[in-house]
Amino acid sequence: MGSRASTLLRDEEIEEIKKETGFSHSQITRLYSRFTSLDKGENGTLSREDFQRIPELAINPLGDRIINAFFSDGEDQVNFRAFMRTLAHFRPIEDNEKGKDPSSSEPLNSRNNKLLFAFRLYDLDKDDKISREELLQVLRMMVGVNISDEQLGSIADRTIQEADQDGDSAISFPEFVKVLEKVDVEQKMSIRFLH
Amino acid sequence: MAEYWTIALLGCLSIPYSICASVELSAVKPSVLDGNVSSLPYSQPNHSASSGHHSSEGLSLFVMDYSHVKAPFEIVMWIMLASLAKLGFHLYGRLPAVVPESCLLILVGLLVGGAMYKVWQQPPPVLSTDVFFLFLLPPIVLDAGYFLPIRIFFDNLGSILCYAVLGTFWNVFGIGVSLYGICQVQSFKLSDVSLLQTLLFGSLIAAVDPVAVLSVFEEIHVNEQLHILVFGESLLNDAVTVVLYKLFKAFCKMQVISLEDVLVGISQFFIVGFGGVAVGIFFGLITALTTRFTGKIQVIEPLFVFLYSYLSYLTSEVFHYSGIMAIIACAVTMKQYVEFNISQKSHITVKYFMKMCSSVSETLIFIFLGVSTVRDNHEWSWPFVCFTVFFCLLWRALGVLFLTAILNKLRINTVTFKDQFIIAYGGLRGAICFSLVFLLDDFPRKRLFITSTIVVILFTVFIQGMTIKPLVELLEVKRTGKPTNVSEEIHSRLLDHIVAGIEDISGHWGHHYWKDKFEYYNKKYLKRILVRQNKQSKSSIVHFYEKLEKKHAVESPDSVVLTDLPREQRQLETSPLQLQPGELDTIKSILSHSLHHIRRKNFLTNIYYLGDLSIFHKQAPAYSRHTLQPDVNSDEMKEIQFRRHSCQSRQDNQDNNKLNDTNQIYSGCTRQKQLTRSCTIGPEYKSDQLHPTEATHPADRSIHRGDHPPSWTTDNQQDKPSISFEK
Repeated sequence: MGSRASTLLRDEEIEEIKKETGFSHSQITRLYSRFTSLDKGENGTLSREDFQRIPELAINPLGDRIINAFFSDGEDQVNFRAFMRTLAHFRPIEDNEKGKDPSSSEPLNSRNNKLLFAFRLYDLDKDDKISREELLQVLRMMVGVNISDEQLGSIADRTIQEADQDGDSAISFPEFVKVLEKVDVEQKMSIRFLH
Repeated sequence: MAEYWTIALLGCLSIPYSICASVELSAVKPSVLDGNVSSLPYSQPNHSASSGHHSSEGLSLFVMDYSHVKAPFEIVMWIMLASLAKLGFHLYGRLPAVVPESCLLILVGLLVGGAMYKVWQQPPPVLSTDVFFLFLLPPIVLDAGYFLPIRIFFDNLGSILCYAVLGTFWNVFGIGVSLYGICQVQSFKLSDVSLLQTLLFGSLIAAVDPVAVLSVFEEIHVNEQLHILVFGESLLNDAVTVVLYKLFKAFCKMQVISLEDVLVGISQFFIVGFGGVAVGIFFGLITALTTRFTGKIQVIEPLFVFLYSYLSYLTSEVFHYSGIMAIIACAVTMKQYVEFNISQKSHITVKYFMKMCSSVSETLIFIFLGVSTVRDNHEWSWPFVCFTVFFCLLWRALGVLFLTAILNKLRINTVTFKDQFIIAYGGLRGAICFSLVFLLDDFPRKRLFITSTIVVILFTVFIQGMTIKPLVELLEVKRTGKPTNVSEEIHSRLLDHIVAGIEDISGHWGHHYWKDKFEYYNKKYLKRILVRQNKQSKSSIVHFYEKLEKKHAVESPDSVVLTDLPREQRQLETSPLQLQPGELDTIKSILSHSLHHIRRKNFLTNIYYLGDLSIFHKQAPAYSRHTLQPDVNSDEMKEIQFRRHSCQSRQDNQDNNKLNDTNQIYSGCTRQKQLTRSCTIGPEYKSDQLHPTEATHPADRSIHRGDHPPSWTTDNQQDKPSISFEK
């Protein structure tokens, strides 16, 4: 499995991915073997069914949305580059990156991009706003059936009220960022990919 | 002003003490504190009588029969002293902010000890080891274990174990060996101290003490991860301490130490640790099972909780397992199931009583530490004492640095240098060392060891305890940051779900894999056996909601609008967002009960324990010993006030729309996004003005239990926050 993986992944590709995402060589190789193990059809891309085959994802309330986050608009296959690009959001922010000059493009795992990833999970219709209905949908998925609609509605209303500053009864991305300013997003949304 | 009160209190305190003293002068030294409550060896003829016995001269008007009640009287006096001292400190506004309570208590103990010494011309009673280990320590550990933040504890369990086990080993051997080296220096005149003795000394002085750590750390409010690292270490190192102490003590007696003795010692460590945990889990499960059946006699439910946990401690002490680990395991295990089973009032009783006991215990321990310092047989040796203190600090710092360097490679939430400094600096020694040193067999240098132990304890508690708070502020160590609003809570959950999902996709198995498996089996099997059947539903939410309703009914006028008036209207009327504390609590508890379990890896500062009924985790520090949440249950006065209020406002106009809307609700249309009060009036409102509307809502019936008065009708709906309760 390992040898097959390394022959299929060319060094130039690894370099490109490394530059784009910031993962290390061994992390990329390891994630590639994970990619291929998920790829039952062996055509170098993952489909939605491949993701859904992961058992733990099935019980994750946000499983479907997370899967959707991998697929860009209109596509229904994910190649390795896109796979890595999405996973790169969850790379821990290293200390030496914090002092990078701001003129270079923002790395994928910056706080802003992490929050953008989360924001997009709410915002299904991609209008850059989380409306009350979208919030309710996510809340309903997270909460299960124990809570009545009214209670959920009031929780959603409270959430929007707390964040909403321009009075449009929806949460825009800057408002979302502001609400989470005290939360340590960098630590929360980081996964230790083994070296 | 406060000073006058304190002086008055202390003056009142001195009166009973002077009575005791005058009586005692003619009797024997108090023997209860030496752990031996046996009868006095001799007694004065006029005190030997029991109350019914008269002297031969006939009846007398005034009889003093102190010896009859001596033992309980003295116990009560000590506890009274502790409580009054505590009270006194809190009357002094500024003092607790500067000086930690532990220091003040030791000072009080020193004063009392000094006074006793003057009065009796002999050393005051010493904290008996048995009393300490059997009576004073268990409540504190039980309190700590019961309110332990489980998620963050298990997240950091690896690091905690590392610090506790490896760190303690490192400290013990480091201190022992280096002290031996010091003793070898001829000019210090200490060469009669053998290596084994210094190792023994090292084993008892190296351990970080949970009592001291708790009392100091709860005032400095560092971030939860840091707190749990230090505190968890202080709890779990008990196993190591017990084993090493007993091992070296036995080795000191043995002539020849063979390899197999050492191996036995090492294996003993595992047995002690795991044995303690096993005993604790066993008793925890039994408690859960017992409370399943206490539905009819709720009054004694708290008793079971306390009895079984204490029993677990005692049982593990029987086998020489680690009692502390047993009681913690018991508390942690039993909490998840007992919370479901016991009634709300029992729950509150357990909470309050536990905190009360542990608070008193802790105060007593520190006072006794002060009292016991006043002795006339100290043996002082400058080099030994100074080097002991120095080595304690040095080896702890080295150990923490070294271990953290290794741990940071394996953790994702790195322990920063500031955190490391606090961990090293926060390694306080306390009463456990003190008791252990008294338990040593008599040998020529025992008094030297006792003296140095006392000095180390005083040093750590005073110097380190007092300076740690300014240092924390100086170094700007990350403090606790809890989410203050619902948005943060919800979004944090979302983030956790996302991370869990991505972890699954990337094939990253954390130790949460096993945790999830455990949760699965827990839900499927254990909960069925241990939790009462009808309680597995959301009755807790019913409780919280009901409490919230009552509370808000009383505080009605300036509540936040949460109804769904038409949008424009709402924006006009919405007052500045006032988060009612009770409402946030409700929302939080609703969320914490109902949100799915998630696999998290990086759960850092926002602590909400899924599936826990921990309504007091809202507090800033994880263990707020002295401030419990104000009880949401309204008392009688509020109830009456509410009734009066609702009677009056029923005269107000009812908005027709509102009434129509509520009618719609009760016609079963659940898709309405109406927010109305649950126990609301329905169509029967007009006819049923003075009675609780029991028949309106089917869900109401489930709320009415024996000990809850039925909820009352509401009044003006517009300015009440309302989360309706409708299925």
